[in-house]
This record gives sequence, C-alpha cells and structure tokens, in this order.
Amino acid sequence: MTQTRGNRAALVSIVLILVGIPTSILGYQYWLRPALAEHRVIDIATRVPENGGFSPDLVRAEVGETITLRFAVDDVAHGIAIGPGLDIDLGQIDPGHVGEITLTLDTPGIYTYYCNTWCSPSHWRMRGILEVVDPNASGSADAPSDPIIEALIAASVDIDAEPQLSEGILPDRSHGEQSFETVEVPPNLLDPTWRLSHTPAEGLVALRAKNPGSGDDVLTDVTAYLWSEPTPTIEIKELFAKNCAACHGERGAGDGPAATSTIETPVAFADVAWFRRGDIWYAKIRRGGMGTDMPNFGTLFTVEEARLLVDYLWYLSFK
Amino acid sequence: MRQSPTDGGRLDVLGRMPRLRRVVLSRAFQPVLMLLLLAPFALAVVAGLLGTSAGNRNFGIVFVWIVWWAVLMVLLVPGLGRVWCTVCPIPAPGEWIQRRGIIGGVAKLRTLGLRWPRRLRNMWVQNAGFLMLALFSTIILTRPSVSAAVIVGLTGTAVGMSLLFEKRTFCKYVCPIGGFIGLYSMVAPIELRVRDAQVCVDHRSKDCITGNENGYGCPWMIYPGKLDRNLDCGFCTECLKTCTMDNVVINLRRPGTDLGKPVSAKRIDEAFKALIMLACSIIYPAVLFGPWATVKEWAGIESFGGWLIYAAAFLTATLVFMPGLFWLAVSRGQKRSCSGLTIRQAFNEYAHALIPLGLASWIAFSVGFALTNGSYALAAISDPLGWGWNLFGTREAGWTPYLSGTAPAIQAAILLGGLIFSVRTSLRIGFRHDPSGTTTMQATAPVAAFLLACTLILLRLYLG
Repeated sequence: MTQTRGNRAALVSIVLILVGIPTSILGYQYWLRPALAEHRVIDIATRVPENGGFSPDLVRAEVGETITLRFAVDDVAHGIAIGPGLDIDLGQIDPGHVGEITLTLDTPGIYTYYCNTWCSPSHWRMRGILEVVDPNASGSADAPSDPIIEALIAASVDIDAEPQLSEGILPDRSHGEQSFETVEVPPNLLDPTWRLSHTPAEGLVALRAKNPGSGDDVLTDVTAYLWSEPTPTIEIKELFAKNCAACHGERGAGDGPAATSTIETPVAFADVAWFRRGDIWYAKIRRGGMGTDMPNFGTLFTVEEARLLVDYLWYLSFK
Repeated sequence: MRQSPTDGGRLDVLGRMPRLRRVVLSRAFQPVLMLLLLAPFALAVVAGLLGTSAGNRNFGIVFVWIVWWAVLMVLLVPGLGRVWCTVCPIPAPGEWIQRRGIIGGVAKLRTLGLRWPRRLRNMWVQNAGFLMLALFSTIILTRPSVSAAVIVGLTGTAVGMSLLFEKRTFCKYVCPIGGFIGLYSMVAPIELRVRDAQVCVDHRSKDCITGNENGYGCPWMIYPGKLDRNLDCGFCTECLKTCTMDNVVINLRRPGTDLGKPVSAKRIDEAFKALIMLACSIIYPAVLFGPWATVKEWAGIESFGGWLIYAAAFLTATLVFMPGLFWLAVSRGQKRSCSGLTIRQAFNEYAHALIPLGLASWIAFSVGFALTNGSYALAAISDPLGWGWNLFGTREAGWTPYLSGTAPAIQAAILLGGLIFSVRTSLRIGFRHDPSGTTTMQATAPVAAFLLACTLILLRLYLG
C-alpha cells in the first residue's frame, strides 16, 4: 500500500519534472512574463545575418505606444543601435546577454534597428525595421524625400561613376588654415551648400581667379582647409568608427579589418577627394554604393548625421 | 543490530548513524535521490535545446560541465567513491521501466534479459565511449545543444539497453562516466562490503542476488560476498536492504585500500582505463589552457582536417604512447625484479599506481576549471536559458575567476599529493611480490620515474 502510494507520488514527480519544466519555461517566457509586463515586450533573437540576423526583423508599434525591445544575443558580440535620429545605442552586447530598451515613439515613420559592431562578413545586412504607425492616419508612412539625392538625379549626375583619382595632390589643411587670411576667398566658397555640390578642384579654380599672384601650393592648401571645415565632433568620429571604419579603416585609408572581404576594395578617401563632390559622398552614404558592398545608411542616419559624416570624410582626406 | 566493526581500521558508518541507516534501508532512498537529480538534468537538457547557444550563459553547460563536474571530481569521487552512481538519473528511466515501478516495483523485470556478450564484459566499451566523448569534448563542453544531445543520447542508450539486457548492463559495461568513477572510487575512503564472507557462503537463499520484499537482487550482477574493491560495485544499496543476515555494511576506511590488490592478467582493460584517464588529464589542460591556439582550433573542429590530425594524435597519445612508455617502465623494472611476474601481469598490477596521480590530476584540472568559471553559475541560475530572465537578481553577475593567484599552488599541492600516493601504491605492489624487499626498489623505480615525469609535465602546464 505504502509502495503504491510512493510509486504514484514518484510518477507524479516525474511527470512534473519532464512535462512541468519545459511547460513552465515556455509558459513563463511566452505567456506569464508578457502578461506581467507593464507594456508590450518584443523578444528579438539576434544572430549574425548568415544565421538569420534579427528575428523578428519587423516590429510594428503605434504612435505613443510604449514598447520594450529585448535583443537576445546568441552567437557573437553585437552592437545594437536604433535610428535614424533616435540616438539609441545599446552598446556592445556579448553572447548570452540581452540588451533591452523601452521606448515610446511619438513620430510615425520607419526606423531601423541594426548592428553597429562588425560581426560577420554580412554584418551590414544585419538590420530590422521598426515601423511606427499612426492609427488615425490613413496609409502607411512614406519614406521621406531627400532633396540632395533628388537634385543629383534631376541633374543626371552618375552617383556610381568611377571617381577621378587625386594622384600627386597632397594638400595640407593646417597650412591652408594659416594661409587663409592671406588670400581672397570668393563668397561661394564660404557657402557650405556650394561646397557640397562642387569638388575641391573646382574651388581651386575659383581661388586662382581671385588670387592670380598666389602660388598654387598655397591655394591648394587653403582649398583643403575650406573643404574640411568644420572640425569634427567626438560624436561624428564615433559614428564613423562604429559604422564605417570596419571597411574604410580608422583613418579612412580603405584598410579596415573587413576590407579584404568586400566585393571591391573600399575607397581610401584621400585618393579621390580632390575631384569628389560632397553631395555624391552624401548620396553614397544615404543610398549605398551600387555593385559594391557599401550599404545604405539612409535608414540609420539622419540627414544631418550624413552631412556631418561627409565633412568628416574631407577632414580625413587632407592631412 | 550488531556492533560496528573496526576491522582493519574500518568504521561501519551506518552502525554509528542509525538514522542514516533507516534512510538508506528505505526503498525510496535511491529513487528519491534520482528524482531530485532528474530535475536539474531535465532543465539542463531543455536549456541546451532551447536556450542560448552561448555556453557560458546556458544552464545546460554551466550546471553540467562546471558545477556537476567539479562536484563529481573534487568532492564525490575522492570522498564518496561511487556515490554518484547511487543518484545518477541517467539510467533511472530505464530501470523504472524494467521494474514497472519507481519505489519498489514488481520482482520480475520487464526486459528481454539478454546477457552482455562475454567478450565485452570488461571496460573496453567504456574506454571507447570515454575516448569518443573526450575527442569531441571541446564542443560538448561549449555547445549547449551538443551537450543536451549527449545527455539525451546516454539516457536513451540506457533505456534501450534496459529493455534488451539484464539489470544495469549499461552502467556496468557501457557508461563512459561510470567507468572512470569506478576506477577512481578505489581511492575513496568509503566502501560497501560484507562483514563476514563466510556468512554469505553459509547463507543459502542469497537474497542479495535474488532480491526479496525489501529490495532487488544486485542490479550490478555482483555477489557481495566476493566484493573486494569499489570498481565493480554501483553503490545502489540494494544488498543492504535485502541482506537478511545484516551482513552488508558501508565502511569508512583508509583511502586507497583497494589499490595494489592482485589483478588478473586478463584485465588489461583496467590498466588501459587508468592510462587513458591519466593521458587525458594531461592533454585536456594542454589543449584548453595551453598556448597552442592551433591545437585548440583543431580540437574545436574548426576544420575537419585539423580535427583529424588532433584525433590521430589524441588516440596515439592515449592508446599507444602512454601505454607504450608505461610498458617500457614496467618491463625495465621487472628485468631487475625477482617477483616472477610476467610483463603483462606487472603492467596490469602496476597500473594501479597510476590511479591516485590520475585522480589528483583530474581534481587539479577540475579545481582550476571551477575556480575560473564557477562565477558563471550565478548568472545561469537567474537566467538559465540566456533569455534575459532575472529570477534571483543575479543575471548581471559578471565573470569572476576566484583565487586566480593561489589556484596554481593548490593544483601543485594536489598533484604532489597524488604523486606521493601513487609512488606509495607502486611500492606496496612491489613489496607484495617481493616481501623481502631485495629488488622492490629496482622494480618500482622506473614506474616512479614515469609517475614523476607525468607530474612534472602537469606542473609545467599549471605553473607555467
């Protein structure tokens, strides 16, 4: 009799262990935990793109809704950021750890959660979409227009054309700063918008016209100084370091640790800077490079961040 | 109850502790312990299959290969011998199916009752199984899903064998873990024995073999009356329950009492078990902690070709190189000895001298491993699947190696203790065959040199 009771108790224990443990785990994770949460929790499995990338890679939320995104990193260290314009960077998350962010988005639009730590050869494909919709508005959120890119397209500028190399031209920005007061600078060269759509080579032509008595070496250095203004901030340097340096190198020399794995060798900025328009660099950042491994960052960076990055590329191009 | 004997320095533990005796004699004793252990192992399997693939954050890896392994090798085996086999949940489902019950099922077992092939009634299958696990250990120890598959595979094999073969055939002849636990349990200061072998001879019903209403006949197919070493006994305590003559006891004893007893010339499997274990205890720290990154990559199967090289080197080291060197040492000693032993006989007997050093080497390895990685347990308890839970508020506990400055000294002390124990064992074997002691030193000196060489290699690995 006692043995029968004992056997029954033991059998119940076994069932509890073998059925109860997995059921409890799954029930807690997928039912109880979300039920206890104050707001919606979205668990996002985070792996290198070769193993699935973000799962899910599309999250929908309503304007004003508070959600918690939980990035469970599974394989290698990833850096999770959300953009554009949200200034959310969870930093590096090691395997087995979970990065968590609770946010309330008040502006409808398409945002991107992405990895900003080089994690695999397909690192740049590691992106997911956070779509914030206004339930009271009809239709889905349209991608915002980009006047700079639209202007390039309207002018039939080939964004992906092979750049002319600046061989033998080695301007000195510091020397240009010292010589700046000694030369007459045309007003359009002082206009950042003009500089954005013109190459330094074109700027040099304008400077020569105003300063026929000055040597070309001085004018070249002044041009470099003008194009590499303003001095980059720490934030923009970090943005470059996290998102660009893996391919283009810390100093923009095209020698990043991932440079050998890209379809085309990443450009060294100094090699092409003299004949490069800033708006083309901007377009490449925002739209990506066709036929290369240069990803689009238009869904990650704001327009302002892309503009500041272009400034930083000039800064890196001229010593 | 009879008085506790103190024969040969032995102390009847249960005689001194009647409450514990009542617990052990209960038929629920072993099943309850197995059930208690089944829960964390089931969680380890679920975590391994569903949880994060980051081993250091997965309960399946942290619990099994850091916590369990350290407890097993540092505490249970050296302190309590085969006691893990008492509580091991891996054979439990198969045994319960056989018995059609958990706490005292029916006497007739549900099994085809096949007998294990005579040629395999030794440790060779266990040796092969351990080598297989060892060959893949770097992925078993780091990949939760693989670790879970190993546990499920062992349990499934145990269940299958329970349906086909008699009693605990799996545990006795196949389990790769039970093999080395049995070997090293001979060092332990605890044993299950009969008080008086003659009582067993005279006792006609032999309840310890047939079983009775108090318990099963020995699941390990042993006649306790002839049990003289821990290697063969699974410590399941059934004979304690079934013995109507109160003739079975659990003794505290001097550590290593089983070592140096006569070994059959046929039992070269035991000698190889000791050599394989000692060789692995050298190879493991060399691969895992050594400066040879390429070897570690090969062992981690980062390339199949590299792993093949590693596997060939590993098997050569464990099955040819170490046994070959030991054979040379033993044969050199026997040439100078007047013991009259054949080389093969001496090889088997002196292999017992490898056991204390082998155990010490595994303890040293496990102590270092546990001190270095034990802190992972804090996070794994709170977040067993790496899903971001924080059940006990310790999820963010960082990796903290403990006693990193003193661990090498602790490891060195353990190794030196093992060396002394092993040399004493070899001397004991030598004196048994040469009571006059005239050639004992000559016979044992090469074996001692072999032991010293192994110890020096290990000290070099741990002390740098």
